Amino acid sequence: MISIIDYGMGNLRSIQNALTFIGASHSLTRDPDELLRAAKLILPGVGSFRKAMENLVGLGIAESIVAAAKLGTPILGICLGMQLLADEGEEGGACNGLGLIGGKVTQLETGSIDQRVPHMGFNEVRFARPLPIFTGIADASHFYFAHSYHLVGNRDDIAGTTTHGMPFTSIVARKNIVGTQFHPEKSQSHGLRLLRNFCYGPIC
Amino acid sequence: MLSRNFTLQAAGDLDWIMEHYEFDSIAFSIDELVVLNVDRDISDMEQFCGNLAKISAHCFMPIAAGGRIRRVEDAENLLKSGADKVVVNSTIFLDHGLIRALVACFGSQSVIASIDYKRVQGNEEGQVYIENGTRPVGMTLPEAVAHAVELGAGELYLTSITKDGTGQGLDIEYISRIGDRVSVPVIISGGAGNFRHLSDAIKLKSVSAVSTANLFNFMSDNLTEAREEIIASGTPLATWEKTARNANR
Repeated sequence: MISIIDYGMGNLRSIQNALTFIGASHSLTRDPDELLRAAKLILPGVGSFRKAMENLVGLGIAESIVAAAKLGTPILGICLGMQLLADEGEEGGACNGLGLIGGKVTQLETGSIDQRVPHMGFNEVRFARPLPIFTGIADASHFYFAHSYHLVGNRDDIAGTTTHGMPFTSIVARKNIVGTQFHPEKSQSHGLRLLRNFCYGPIC
Repeated sequence: MLSRNFTLQAAGDLDWIMEHYEFDSIAFSIDELVVLNVDRDISDMEQFCGNLAKISAHCFMPIAAGGRIRRVEDAENLLKSGADKVVVNSTIFLDHGLIRALVACFGSQSVIASIDYKRVQGNEEGQVYIENGTRPVGMTLPEAVAHAVELGAGELYLTSITKDGTGQGLDIEYISRIGDRVSVPVIISGGAGNFRHLSDAIKLKSVSAVSTANLFNFMSDNLTEAREEIIASGTPLATWEKTARNANR
């Protein structure tokens, strides 16, 4: 059973639709104990970093996510959910993250016409190293992005990069933790494949 | 769904479109779907949301939905029904507070400002209109764009009323003149009648995306061919497997 963490940040329907489509059984949960028992976790999220952390802490599930990560539960963070894996964020005021992936979440630089912010639309992802969740997906495949912030982390955790005016980290991975800045549930066949790999295969 | 001509033509209800247009296949030829509620009857919001939920269950791409958003709750219902972003139009000029509230609740990336303008002469500024092109707001297009960005809109959806429904090509000369100064992504629409119109527009640096509601583009394999044509003309678009079913193999 895949647990999708429901903490009041954003629309979960599209992730549910995608998991239903690939036939992966799933449930929405905000119960700290259920999170600890889940086979795999998906941390979604749309909105501001600070508000998201306040919700996770307020619902008592931030600790459960960290505990599940230590137990080795595979976790996929999507968009804001990926950013929350970091040590800290600045959106909505400086705030600690879950600290599962080192680094800080900062605003995308805006400048030339090639760097319009928010970064919206399909863009290429270059895989930095092979991972089981990339099985069947060609390097430089396109995924859908919608964000104004990005995770600046440790080189060792970078699993994919994308260029929007300048290169940024679009996938992070460390042991059982993976995060994608893009929305796999909104990225057509490539995204569905990545979700299928996550749901049915090993993560590292 | 209706053609976004200012003299709206009924194209058929959702089931009819699903049946006749192999919607699942078309869905893999586009980057994004915009669904607008053009119904005059505000009470049909519930039905519209129901249709949106049906579409989103089969679409693994971003969906923008709008029309008749008068309260934060309306936007919330659209998002809960499967939209990723909401499209606002007259509200940008009539209710600034609502736009700011939408941005605060759902983030800039979830709010698309749709701005319709008329421009008859080649060298004049576009004048912005609301209420299906009947009511001028007293702003030029660059002024309205600056206003929408200031309110926090994360994307702009600019439609030339003059070109819309003509099939004579998009307003690329004007957009290329004013678009370079815009700091957020710009989608343009109005006037696309063939593949070349789409590829000429998307080539522009100031244009992030091109939108079409012309029925011509929904017939047979036209959208798929348009996509191939644009790629062949040198603009790198995303490529996917043609049907979602492949992802399950």
